[in-house]
Amino acid sequence: MKIKLSSIMVDNQTAALAFYTDILGFKKAKDIPAGEFRWLTLVSPDGYPDVELVLEPNANPAAKAFQEAMFKQGIPLAAFEVDDIEAEAKRLKQHAVKFTTDPKQVGPVKLAIFSDTCGNLIQMYQPPQRG
Amino acid sequence: MAHAATHIIVGLKMIHPDLLHRLCHARDLLRDWEEEPLSISAVARASNLTRFHFIRIFKALFGETPHQYRVRAQIEKAQHLLVLTDSSITEICMAVGFSSHGSFSALFRRRVGMSPSEFQRRYRQASRSEPHLPTSLVPGCLSLMGGILETEQFSRRQAADETDSF
Repeated sequence: MKIKLSSIMVDNQTAALAFYTDILGFKKAKDIPAGEFRWLTLVSPDGYPDVELVLEPNANPAAKAFQEAMFKQGIPLAAFEVDDIEAEAKRLKQHAVKFTTDPKQVGPVKLAIFSDTCGNLIQMYQPPQRG
Repeated sequence: MAHAATHIIVGLKMIHPDLLHRLCHARDLLRDWEEEPLSISAVARASNLTRFHFIRIFKALFGETPHQYRVRAQIEKAQHLLVLTDSSITEICMAVGFSSHGSFSALFRRRVGMSPSEFQRRYRQASRSEPHLPTSLVPGCLSLMGGILETEQFSRRQAADETDSF
């Protein structure tokens, strides 16, 4: 058994693909029509090439209620690792990305939270320096 | 010091929990209303923001303007009502906040790719004992992966059937 797919629900798969590739810098891995929707996955050029993030259509009212409640409470639904969080935050802000938490030290990690414009808050974090 | 500096640059300012809350509430107001839909200006006022600032920050946070969000919510609600209820198309048109049947149908067709009545015919189950949204409209998320296989198998089967009939 392997960890291979992780997923995030999005309002609009086309808009999400643009945000996650153009702004966050992920690369499209699979894009296959599946009925009304698409099987849409991404990989991270800086990360593990065999781990994919699925951009799932959030059409289910139950899932939507969950997503909206989490957003309102300021709770992120995914976390991505970065090497230099200050530089990333600056870069994302230049792309008009809205943060709900600016980079801050929390215990051993530095983290920040921003909106993915598709209904989710995303956390990015910088792990402690190794060595 | 650095903290204070980021706050001077208005566009780069982070959204504080109170503002986040107000914007989420605004989203609720745009989607659900009592008597009739509120104007965008009224929702901005309820959020304690100017109309200009409200539209700008809403778009930055949710990826679409308040108006775009509302239209999408109206169409989604109409889709659900068409499948789940016995209401007429005129009743559904009113229920989602349109006053004109013509503009509702035209907008629905533009967004969904078919008219409200075609949509109803396609997605309403034959059995009305317990109406539910078909999985083609409400996918079980990761099951879409299976949807690909199912579609492939289906088209293969269909292709086979067609071949058989010759």
